[in-house]
Amino acid sequence: MSKRFLFMLCAVLACAAFVGACGSDDDEGGGGGGDAATEETGVTEGAKVIDPASMDGATGDVTFCLGKDTSGDKTAAIKRFNESQSEIKADMLEFSTSADEQRTQFVQRQEAQSGECDVFYADVIWTAEFASQKWIFDMTPYTQEREGDLIPATLETVNYDGKTWGMPQQTDAGFLYYRTDQVDEPPATWQETYEVAAQNDGIVYQGAPYEGLTCNYLELAYAAGGEILSEDGKESVIDSPENVAALQLMVDGVKDGTAANGVTTYMEEESRRYFESGRATFMRNWPYAYSLGQKKGTKVSGKFQVAPFPEFEGAGKAAILGGHNLVISQFSENPGGALALVDFLTSEEEQVIMFRDYSLAPTIAAAYDDASVQKEFDFAPELKESVGQARSRPVSPLYPQVSQAIYKNVNEALAGKVSPEEALKTAQTEMQSALETF
Amino acid sequence: MRRRSRGVPERRLAWFMTAPSILLIALVAVWPIIYAIWLSMHEYSLVSAGLSRWASPIGLGNYIDAFGDAEFRDAAVVTLIFTVASVALETVIGLAMAMTMAMAFKGQGVLRTVVLVPWAVLTVVTAIMWRSMFDSNLGFVNTLLGTNTVWLGTEPQALLVMILADVWKTAPFMALLLLAGLQVIPGEIYEAAKVDGASAWQRFKKITLPLLMPALLVALIFRTLDALRIFDLPKVLTNGANGTTSLSLLAQRTFQENRLYGEGAAISILTFLLVMAVSFAYIRLVGGNIRGMTEDR
Repeated sequence: MSKRFLFMLCAVLACAAFVGACGSDDDEGGGGGGDAATEETGVTEGAKVIDPASMDGATGDVTFCLGKDTSGDKTAAIKRFNESQSEIKADMLEFSTSADEQRTQFVQRQEAQSGECDVFYADVIWTAEFASQKWIFDMTPYTQEREGDLIPATLETVNYDGKTWGMPQQTDAGFLYYRTDQVDEPPATWQETYEVAAQNDGIVYQGAPYEGLTCNYLELAYAAGGEILSEDGKESVIDSPENVAALQLMVDGVKDGTAANGVTTYMEEESRRYFESGRATFMRNWPYAYSLGQKKGTKVSGKFQVAPFPEFEGAGKAAILGGHNLVISQFSENPGGALALVDFLTSEEEQVIMFRDYSLAPTIAAAYDDASVQKEFDFAPELKESVGQARSRPVSPLYPQVSQAIYKNVNEALAGKVSPEEALKTAQTEMQSALETF
Repeated sequence: MRRRSRGVPERRLAWFMTAPSILLIALVAVWPIIYAIWLSMHEYSLVSAGLSRWASPIGLGNYIDAFGDAEFRDAAVVTLIFTVASVALETVIGLAMAMTMAMAFKGQGVLRTVVLVPWAVLTVVTAIMWRSMFDSNLGFVNTLLGTNTVWLGTEPQALLVMILADVWKTAPFMALLLLAGLQVIPGEIYEAAKVDGASAWQRFKKITLPLLMPALLVALIFRTLDALRIFDLPKVLTNGANGTTSLSLLAQRTFQENRLYGEGAAISILTFLLVMAVSFAYIRLVGGNIRGMTEDR
């Protein structure tokens, strides 16, 4: 074998080796938090339970793990915590801005049984997964005491296996944005929304096959009275008349041109830009688009308002919850101190500061009624209503696959490739086979 | 029997001195591959943590599942179509660009720099740019063509846009590699051919192409391997929707989102084998001796 051939071979192998080496782990995804699986299944037998009394007299250090604090609110909050008392010292360990990376970082520490993260700022869809792995404390005794303070919908995101596993700290719910120069008042039902949209400039939302479409679809499906998973979270029930009705409404909207052309490729930013260019009467989006749209220079500045989602004719109202929960690691060496930090971050004063100064939606109901908050945000009452009627996404440790089954098939139906009935049948089959592997 | 020469103790010393580096490389590069192979033969999923059993039968369960899975087959087909189409286009366009740049003219230096700009732009930024361009309402492509197509939302069109974006980005890379190859060809050969009365096409076919072969093959191997492993472009452009899921994207999704490590590892190893097969095919084509090809002529 000539040297040259050997060299070429090594060069080629080295290039190709990186393909194989990329077979290392990189986890992601999360468990859902919410309605199904509040039934006891015994999966979390033996998990440690938090003792609320451990808060008093706790001393020592506490580490708060979270994603990069780009808005600065947590840094300021930790500073205030340390200044308010001298027994416990809290510090922050910041992970990446990417949600997947944050989850990976926390999961790695739990797998190594490391107590480095006493408290973790977990996305709402991860709670069931962490609970099923017994990585976090059972916080039921503590949350029972605070139940009255919280917006009830937010508690759904921490329910799993009959217990609660975290304290909701920050939440998020979508709005129906509407043009005030075209529509006098927000429509009362989804059906009316589509009718009014057809007479004006249409509606835009997130229809690309990704997590956002799951939220968009569930907002209609839950309102129509449909469910995704059975009570125990082990079976898929997505193929139901209510869900088909919700999907049919969306599909009809795309077919007759009421929904923006290309909505099946749109995520939050694209739909926001479309609405901001003045081409749509209605938009479904998260609260962040409000202040961006009102800025001088957009075509809709001063010409739109927000409303909680309307009713689905003949059924009810719904919204989907986003946000974060505070969870305490089972391997924490200072659970009392961790709980004290959780208690501080979810106190009414802290929640008001978080909302007023950093525009992050709080989970404590009283924070919405604070006068300084209402002065700052004219949509505070709408947000509270929206969060109040919200539900959590399906609870399951296999949430990523559940979500994939939903968004892939809903997108195919929207694109007109399959009928709504077929789409949901396929979704049920795919979801079922994924759930059976657990 | 090897004759003992003065070089033997030196060689042993050389081995000792390179041993630490070799060990480090083995640990960092070889160990993950072996682990990936081990993973691919087990049913290991993080959902049921700690569960790891041999994927029946004889550890090949995940591979058999992969071949039976329509998603995997579709991803393989998409990856192959993408590779063939984009590499072919890149080569033709790159060659044309290289031949233009090889001619000496005013502004040559500026042209060579400008031509490199698409290659310098990050793939993620390229994908976002192309996504905006082909947006069915706000992008200028529909306005220019007067159409209403939802480019990234329909089946063959999305792959077409992906191919175009990749060609736009990497044709300059091909051009540069081929330019280097072109500049090695001595000008006298062309002079001699012109004297003999060869036409431009004959000069291209009989002189340029054969003498360019080494550079061309190196460029082809690079680009083919890259195209087979494409990930960031489909991820940002469409997240794999509408017939743009490549093998790497499928593997990442299986690992990251679904946390099915065994199956994800199997897909990765299969991609690895595909890439290796293509590399070997190239090397066989060349007969293992690229330099020798030019010397023979």
